Amino acid sequence: MKRFLFHWVAAAALSLCIAGGVASAPQQIAPAQAAVVPKVQIPIQQFTLENGLRVVLSEDHAAPTVSLCITFDVGSRNELAGHTGFAHLFEHMMFQGSQNVGKGEHLILVRVNGGDVNGTTTQDSTNYFERVPANQLDMALFLESDRMRALRINQANLDNQRNTVQEERRLRIDNQAYGKTYEIVDGLAYDSFAYKHSAMGSMDDLNAASLEDVASFFKTYYAPNNAVLTLVGDFKTPEALAKIKKYFEDIPSQPAPPAVDVAEPARTAQRRLQVEDSFAKLPRLDIVYKTVPGNTPDWYALDMLGDILFGGTSSRLYQLLVKEKAVALQVGGGIAERRGPSLFQAIALMKPGQDAGEVETLINEEFERVKKDGVTQAEMDKVRIQDRLAQAAGLTGTLNRARTMGRDAVYFHDPGLINTALVNYSEVTAADIQRVARQYLGAEQSTVVLTVPKAQPPPTQEGPREKQ
Amino acid sequence: MRFTMRGKFFPQAAVVAVLACALPAAGWSQVDTGQDKAIPPSKVERLNRAPVSKEILKVTLPRPVETTLPNGIRVLILEDHRFPLAAVEFDIDGAGQMYEPANLPGLAVTTARMLDQGTKTRTSKQIAEQIDSLGASLSASSGFGSGSTSLFASGLSDTFDQWFALASEVLLHPSFPADELAQYRSRAKPALLQQRAQPGFLAFQTMSRALYGTYPAAVVSSTPESLDAVTPELLANWHDAHYAPQNTVLAISGDVHADALIAKLRQSLAEWKRSKETVKLQPAPPPATQTKVFLVDRPGSVQTTLLMGNLAIDRTNPDYPALVVLNEVLGAGSASRLFLNLREEKGYTYGVYSSVTARKYAGPWTAGGDLRTEVTGGAMTEFLRELNRIRDEKVPDDEMDAAKRTVVASFALSLESPQQLIGYAITRKAYNFPADYWDKYPAQITAVTADDVQRVAKKYINPATMQLVAVGDAEKIKSVLEKYGPVEMVDASGKPAAEPAKSPGGNSQ
Repeated sequence: MKRFLFHWVAAAALSLCIAGGVASAPQQIAPAQAAVVPKVQIPIQQFTLENGLRVVLSEDHAAPTVSLCITFDVGSRNELAGHTGFAHLFEHMMFQGSQNVGKGEHLILVRVNGGDVNGTTTQDSTNYFERVPANQLDMALFLESDRMRALRINQANLDNQRNTVQEERRLRIDNQAYGKTYEIVDGLAYDSFAYKHSAMGSMDDLNAASLEDVASFFKTYYAPNNAVLTLVGDFKTPEALAKIKKYFEDIPSQPAPPAVDVAEPARTAQRRLQVEDSFAKLPRLDIVYKTVPGNTPDWYALDMLGDILFGGTSSRLYQLLVKEKAVALQVGGGIAERRGPSLFQAIALMKPGQDAGEVETLINEEFERVKKDGVTQAEMDKVRIQDRLAQAAGLTGTLNRARTMGRDAVYFHDPGLINTALVNYSEVTAADIQRVARQYLGAEQSTVVLTVPKAQPPPTQEGPREKQ
Repeated sequence: MRFTMRGKFFPQAAVVAVLACALPAAGWSQVDTGQDKAIPPSKVERLNRAPVSKEILKVTLPRPVETTLPNGIRVLILEDHRFPLAAVEFDIDGAGQMYEPANLPGLAVTTARMLDQGTKTRTSKQIAEQIDSLGASLSASSGFGSGSTSLFASGLSDTFDQWFALASEVLLHPSFPADELAQYRSRAKPALLQQRAQPGFLAFQTMSRALYGTYPAAVVSSTPESLDAVTPELLANWHDAHYAPQNTVLAISGDVHADALIAKLRQSLAEWKRSKETVKLQPAPPPATQTKVFLVDRPGSVQTTLLMGNLAIDRTNPDYPALVVLNEVLGAGSASRLFLNLREEKGYTYGVYSSVTARKYAGPWTAGGDLRTEVTGGAMTEFLRELNRIRDEKVPDDEMDAAKRTVVASFALSLESPQQLIGYAITRKAYNFPADYWDKYPAQITAVTADDVQRVAKKYINPATMQLVAVGDAEKIKSVLEKYGPVEMVDASGKPAAEPAKSPGGNSQ
């Protein structure tokens, strides 16, 4: 605690100095040293029910609320060819009613009691969650357990939700500028089907989904032994655990689902593609590299490298591309986190008419500088303090915590990562960052996608023009 | 960084959001914040077997410490020591777009965005470097349609004094360097282009002009011309005239100590001198009395974006609680009528919603959504059915109870978020509501009757006078829209467009 007090006092003096109008050199503001041990730790208790359901409880009595999240170990990576979009379509089906909950009743009950509710599907997992006033814990547990036990599946609901999911696809992908770019990048960068195909799925596959498909998916993947229940908030652990047992423990377990192969063959040549986008007005460059699974030492090093290159307006590539060279409107990037090989990405939204080759060269030159010269101590300090900020910010809100712990429990069998990841970051050295840049950011490992506005036909003087 | 939740349906979304969020966003703020993307029912069926506590958790919202500094800044501080974080918002009334000269749309926004691009003693790069190195972030914004400009800063509480000092410096001593302004201009002009590729923005722009005419709230973005016209001198003059402490609310929440902080603020902000600037907004025009239909052609669009509405109330209007309840019944969320009908029963859309916007001047009620092109006509039929139903029929008791409970019960959840709590306090200050306004708000909502809802529905929600905007493939939907009135074609810049679009070249700019 002393170190924080020291900074407080030192900072106060500086504040008066600036406010008094005394010219102060920027160097006077020294970055605070990053704390290796996180200042905030949240309590975590883990249990496993007889049917295999993993339970993670974290008491927090600061507000009279509870957040419940059920994370299932299934995502689009479990889908087979011809069945793309199935995990997500199924997620919608989970809100269509179960044995003791009417269609729509789940959402209405949560909302009417002031809560939040949603479900999300990614490549690597699917989660369902609600945040409710603490006195509605029984309601939340009842709703989640009833659909895990006995989902109601029928043709009318399937048809209805298929339409909804297809509208979601139109909204997010088919009708948006750059909407298809994400799918194209994944499709080109990955070789294994698990990550190559879109989580949203194809319209054809969605149309082909049958009731039998839905029922078999439910039985295989929505078993208690394939899920983690996280509960965060204002409860007493023994009472909450007793309730969880009461609602969930009699749901039968199922054989473990088939394993997923996410292994990627080694790449020997760069892949490039240029695509036209009817709705885009500005060219966009995506450069991605297939790297390592999340929560590994190299992943943490790549994440810190991403922050040095792309994090905030002081980052290297923001300063270079947006400010100094003024070739891009926006630049973003860094590493995503997957259970399998994760993508390290650089994305630049360029000015109209900008030569994309020049931007690509500038990005590559910056990568080469890291490989050759490494990163500075000031950059390391900056990223460490930003990690500390992110760790603290990631803990605010019970729902955020419930979701993060559920994800980490399913991805890495470690719900406590929310407390300890900062230590993993602190072990990364500047030399590690230079090494991972050399190891993973080679040209032959890259995938480059350029999205350009679809050429408009030249204006004619008069008369009707061809419709495309 | 792994601590924050990544994208929802696409992990890439986290990265890509960096691009999308930084582009100027459009949209009215909504009365209801419970906008979830959730995935509800087909035809609603209540089995009533889930164990539900009938009790609505009564909570007392903590009140921030309040004081007024000698220069007139109204300070709100809400201590919260759960996490080593703090957040600051300077809300400067009179410095927003609503007070701009008509010939320089976006002047207030450009001024706000340029605040951190250089001060008397620091370059933009130094400011960025120092803020990032302190474990903090800083941004200034002024929304179109807003009378105020806001400067936000947040970060680790142990470096609070340092980043707060930087935030104060960019607020009080921006230098508006000419080269940085030129750079900003060169980014902002293409961003206008990209903005006009978004159907939601095009609908919002068209509706704003339809509702507000020449009133400042009709302005929803800068223009290439206004971006060319602004100079460092114009920005500095605007800053000098409109950034006044007596019109400012300073809200601080998090791991800070109010007494010590107030003592420091008295000194550190003393150099910001009170001015004679007062803030007075002209009233908005009256609601439209005749339906007009506007169509923005977006050739190749696979969805139609529909937006309908008319002007209703300002935030101090006594009809506000009744309209909040009405909105909850009609379309605020996934348990509301529009969603259940058009999504869950008809499968037309991923989501349709209504909103009621109430600010210092009259804002609109609106309803709309994105629907696949082929069902544009069917969707209009259902929108009109729901708008008429809430006017013509009294809302049944159970639906009234559910809607009111929805609004009131959410207060318990807001206790988790100091920033939401202080947001309530800022609203209270901004409208000069009494100190116990939020304490009494649940009772105000609970007191709303089905008769009240029907009365305000008949008063404000009128399909016979509403304005209707569609963004989509004109070739396919123009004839559908003509049923609702003569269709005016509008281009992407909001100007009247030549008739039909037989080419994909319909978007000017």
